[in-house]
Amino acid sequence: MIPTRALRDCLDGVIPGVVSTCAPDGTPNVAYMSQGQYLDDQHLALSYQFFNRTRQNLLANPRVTLGLIHPQTAQQYRVHLVYERTETSGPVFESMKAKLAGIASHTGMSGVFRLLGSDIYRIERSEVVPGSTLPAQPPAVDPLLALRTCMARLPQSPDAESLLDALLDGLQAHFRIEHALVMMLDPGRDRLYTVASRGYPASGVGSELRLGDGVIGVAARERNPIRISHMTSEYAYGLAQREGAERRGLGDLLETEIPFPGLAAPGSQLAVPIPGAREPIGVLFAESPTEMRFTHADEDALVALATQVGGLFRLFLAELELGEESQPAGGREPRPDGVPLRVRHYAANDSVFLGDDYLIKGVAGNILWTLLQDHQTLGRTQFSNRELRADPRVRLPDQSDNLEARLVLLHRRLAERRACVQLEKTGRGRFRLLVTRPLELEDMDSGA
Amino acid sequence: MPSPTPGFRLDPDTARFLMSGVSINAGAGGADGTPSLCRAFGCRVDPGGGQVAVFFSSRQAADLLRDVAHSRALAVVFSEPPTHRTVQVKGRDARVVPLAEGDLARVRAYRDAFAQCLAFLGFTETMVRTLLDCPDADLVALAFTPTAAFNGTPGAQAGAPLSPMVAPPPGAP
Repeated sequence: MIPTRALRDCLDGVIPGVVSTCAPDGTPNVAYMSQGQYLDDQHLALSYQFFNRTRQNLLANPRVTLGLIHPQTAQQYRVHLVYERTETSGPVFESMKAKLAGIASHTGMSGVFRLLGSDIYRIERSEVVPGSTLPAQPPAVDPLLALRTCMARLPQSPDAESLLDALLDGLQAHFRIEHALVMMLDPGRDRLYTVASRGYPASGVGSELRLGDGVIGVAARERNPIRISHMTSEYAYGLAQREGAERRGLGDLLETEIPFPGLAAPGSQLAVPIPGAREPIGVLFAESPTEMRFTHADEDALVALATQVGGLFRLFLAELELGEESQPAGGREPRPDGVPLRVRHYAANDSVFLGDDYLIKGVAGNILWTLLQDHQTLGRTQFSNRELRADPRVRLPDQSDNLEARLVLLHRRLAERRACVQLEKTGRGRFRLLVTRPLELEDMDSGA
Repeated sequence: MPSPTPGFRLDPDTARFLMSGVSINAGAGGADGTPSLCRAFGCRVDPGGGQVAVFFSSRQAADLLRDVAHSRALAVVFSEPPTHRTVQVKGRDARVVPLAEGDLARVRAYRDAFAQCLAFLGFTETMVRTLLDCPDADLVALAFTPTAAFNGTPGAQAGAPLSPMVAPPPGAP
């Protein structure tokens, strides 16, 4: 039998597999396959792109023999398959569609390769073809050791923000993944927003993508990891995203106000959903300028890490719900002196502008506006996550909504802008609002 | 199977393509409907394009040889990795034949040409030579009369029969 690791390596490799079929009358047919995908140790999927002789044959005689070559050792394998069904939507199809677009772009076949379906096969048996082989190269990183080391730090994080830092630092230190980010899902708006990143000139915290856009959006929508070894403009972010926003009008222009931080010319990308109780709470995304950078083992490791991060987020949420009542408001702090800064809030999208500068919108914008109102009218500076969750003014779209992630986003945006308003943690689930300049709050279209 | 053109012959351009440094794989149908498959180490097309011989490792091709002995039907696909140009040739009278004079040199030349072809795509020569490694004594040839050839290059035209070069009728000028 072909070891699972070898099968996955072969299907990942750039050496195309060969598919042998035969018609009911015994006439053979041999064709090259564009793409195969490992599903489990008993199933794999092959791309269905054209209605050709291979397809006619397998519909009449489901027995297929697949020839594979290991990309490092040159070991040949034959995998005997039985065709089961074709999927034209769902996670397997979407993942293969994204990969195929990359393969097509890499091989000059854009516009020719189009996925019509994912043909699902049962692996009946496999054989090792006798012949010469090369020694396997040990991987540069031992993914299991890297996973263990990286995972060990995560549960020590006291809050969401330090958890995300530990995760991205761990990817850099132990997996040598230099470019990575975490986006959280805003389920009410079908958007993902960046809360943390590493390896980019600008953090991009607060930048948004639509669910279904590019590998990150597809991974979130399909709840399935997407790994592309050759990048393609079809799944690239940037120009298309900006143009789309411009077509949709000014309101959506704020989506591109904070540019997405991704690499201009990525070679490989890997997007892994961070699981929640029902829908994913976000996506862990890694990329590299190098093609074929991420292996199946990297994907395994990132799925394990994302699962742990998802669990810890739920733990933070539970702690919040079981936590003690918020501490007393504390004494009033002296009001700052100086020229007041005009702070505008647009209720239509909860965007907040400090002076003329756009800061944030959505739930995070609404949180900030609520805090500033209480600061202005009541002189409050001490707040707790728990009271914010219960505050009707914050209008969290859903009980399961991730307040912690919104606060991470808000904290980072304020810090990056070096704003005259800052959030400072004072304990678990508690923080202080620091205002260093008098503010003039203006609700722009509250009656609209 | 489409009915073969009587007197079908491979045209000189296709014959040259088949004998260049392209990837070659052959398949046959087993008695139980299970297809067999084997990579080849080059081929010889007779002048005139009426006969094709394909070279294999007998150890690697055990199933293919068994199925061909049973059915005589063979499909061979030839593909040039950098261009994706692909041609599939089929025959119904495949049989094992002794290697002819010059066939060992053809296999060696094929290894050189395929290694050179793949070097442009970033594969090391060691990798390609390992893949195509086979002791001379282990080489076996399957010969057949091509009955049809198809364009297998990915795209809308894939599967279209190649225009055959039909042998001139006896006595024609």
